[in-house]
Amino acid sequence: MKAAWFQNLPVTLRVPVVTATLMIALGVVASQGVLAALRHVQDARLVETAQLHVEGLSVALGPFVLRQDVWEVYDILDRAQAASDGQRLLQTLVADEQGEVLAASDPRRAPVGSDIATYEAGAVAPGAVTMTGDPVLRVMAPLRYQGRDVGRIVTELDVTDLLAERRRVTLWLLFGNAAATVVLAFAGWLAVARILRPVGTLVRAMDATEGAPRPIADADIPRGDPGLARLIATYNRMTTAVEARAEAERRLAERERFVSLGRLSSSLAHEINNPLGGLLNAADTIVTYADRPDVVRESGNLMLRGLTHLRDVARAILDQNRLDRSGQPLRSVDFEDLRLLFEPEVASRGQRLAWFITAGDETLAALPSAPVRQVTLNLLLNASEAAGTGGRIGLSVTNGADVLSIAVDDTGPGLGPDHLTRLLSSGPLPPGGGVGLRLAHDIVVGLSGQISHTRSAGATVIRVDLPMGAVP
Amino acid sequence: MGCTRRMFIAGSVALAAPALLAQSVAAVRFALTPVFLDNDAAVISGLQAALAEGMGRGVELVQRRTYQEITGALLDGSVDAAWTCGYPYLQHQTELTLLGVPIWNGQPFYQSYLIVSAEDTAQDIQDLRGGTHAFSDPDSNSGFLVTASDLARVGETPERFFARSIFTFGHRNVVRAVAGGLTRSGSVDGYVWEVLSAVEPQLTARTRIVARSERLGFPPFVARADRIDDPVVAACKSALLGLSGRASGQAALALLFLDGVAPADPSLFDGIAVRMAVLGAAP
Repeated sequence: MKAAWFQNLPVTLRVPVVTATLMIALGVVASQGVLAALRHVQDARLVETAQLHVEGLSVALGPFVLRQDVWEVYDILDRAQAASDGQRLLQTLVADEQGEVLAASDPRRAPVGSDIATYEAGAVAPGAVTMTGDPVLRVMAPLRYQGRDVGRIVTELDVTDLLAERRRVTLWLLFGNAAATVVLAFAGWLAVARILRPVGTLVRAMDATEGAPRPIADADIPRGDPGLARLIATYNRMTTAVEARAEAERRLAERERFVSLGRLSSSLAHEINNPLGGLLNAADTIVTYADRPDVVRESGNLMLRGLTHLRDVARAILDQNRLDRSGQPLRSVDFEDLRLLFEPEVASRGQRLAWFITAGDETLAALPSAPVRQVTLNLLLNASEAAGTGGRIGLSVTNGADVLSIAVDDTGPGLGPDHLTRLLSSGPLPPGGGVGLRLAHDIVVGLSGQISHTRSAGATVIRVDLPMGAVP
Repeated sequence: MGCTRRMFIAGSVALAAPALLAQSVAAVRFALTPVFLDNDAAVISGLQAALAEGMGRGVELVQRRTYQEITGALLDGSVDAAWTCGYPYLQHQTELTLLGVPIWNGQPFYQSYLIVSAEDTAQDIQDLRGGTHAFSDPDSNSGFLVTASDLARVGETPERFFARSIFTFGHRNVVRAVAGGLTRSGSVDGYVWEVLSAVEPQLTARTRIVARSERLGFPPFVARADRIDDPVVAACKSALLGLSGRASGQAALALLFLDGVAPADPSLFDGIAVRMAVLGAAP
């Protein structure tokens, strides 16, 4: 979860952040190295100072400690202290074998005769002295003279200056690294922003056109970066392919309208041909019995009904194919047209059709005519094909408060997975098969509607719910 | 006293030629003790040059750590003359003779000072009981005898009265020991303390005088009594007594803050003899 916010940051921000983090890590490691080296050098200096001091004093003090000559011991310590200029040696104490202080460079702090154990707390051997963070370090060593220990020497070393040096170095490292990190992070940001500029152009090109990718101009392709240049060239080819695909789909949808009608053509031909026979008979009757007004009237009426039917069929076909139907509201007569077009198909297969329209014109007018007709016709044709010879097909158009429901049912074997994919999803189309169901799906999505599919008691029901007023 | 050390050094350089000539004759061996102002090379060389000029021969200044060593060297003939203290002089009065005594502030006297550190509140020697004490030399009048005899008068010894007493073998060292806090108190030559207060005021400022002794005979120049007629000893005596009459001698005396050297009578040291008697060490 923690990384999620970071993943959401733009790459032009993430890379400098990563650069800065790495710089800080590098700075910390380098600083540790420098401080460790400094500590080593300081410790070596301390050891050298302590050893020189103690060893030098041991040589000078030996005989006087043996004789317990307080003044000479003090004189040596005092002069050694003066020689050291008080810079490193704070205090030196010398005790006899019993641990009784013979003299100290500051006798007021360590009076003659006091117990040296009081001043030995935390003391280490001269060779083992190391910086502990304490400004005062204590070193203790035995005083050897003529091959035996004649006393002890304790020295307090003032390392305030070394600690200050370490603090100073630490601060310089801290500020230096911070400044270097800021500068390098900024430089990294600039460099990365420059490097990633074509990627930003690519992202904007993909985002700006809402699903219809726009190609990137040649001038914006970074020729100096072969990888990115190839990526953008590939993207440009992809946009062309997408455009071509969209155009193909548009043409396919357009053609589908004719296809669906084409599928009706043979039954419609029968529908036209059958009345023509009756009309020719009626015309022949009128010619034969022109002097019989009753026969002429009856034949005239017969011709009128036949021609009216032909006119209705012709209008329905024209309506289905008119290109300028967009914007016309849906009416109940549109469903009558569909019935007129569809019934011959049903009849040719010996199927039964249940037609149930309850929605009135006031309700239907909230929806556009052309897309609803196309969806309904596609679903009916699909149902007819599925139901097979002697099957049953039903259409039900009902309305709720703010939704129009179109339900098409059939007694066919049900939709296969491929058909369901075409009908219910926007995913890629499986190879083969028609585009009728996918066209119905796309139109319903365009109208902000929903398609549902149920299968029960040997019947398949496809239900389309369209919100009222969803004019595309 | 208006002579500065720099002036003296210039004078020393001017006198170097006759001093070198004088060394063609056997040098006179003259002993000094570190109890005295022996830490200043300018003082030593100044005195050496003045004596050499006065005697017309080379002078070898011999320095030893203690009065005892100086007295021993004097008695065994290792040195011809010595600037020592009234106490060892009286200890060996029969074997030694006085060549002269320095005049300080117009008189052949000095005092012993009992000093403590500047911040110490002691008012007299009784306040120092149980403390640590610095003497200069067991054969020093001002640096041991005076305090020891004062304690003897009240039935005490330094060993009992002080928790610990040490010998520093130098009056300047006594001042350093007290100023540095090594010991609580010290017995010091009053002349040395006063001279130090002029040349090293930062050192004496860290000490305070608790008590001053009566005036006692100033540390004298001595030689072996049986050599009083020895020309070398006579020349030495003459050179000492004539120091104030020569420029080099005046320069040396100025560095020593002394007025001159006068003939001395053994009675000058009667005060010291009294204290020796108190201590049960009568000459």
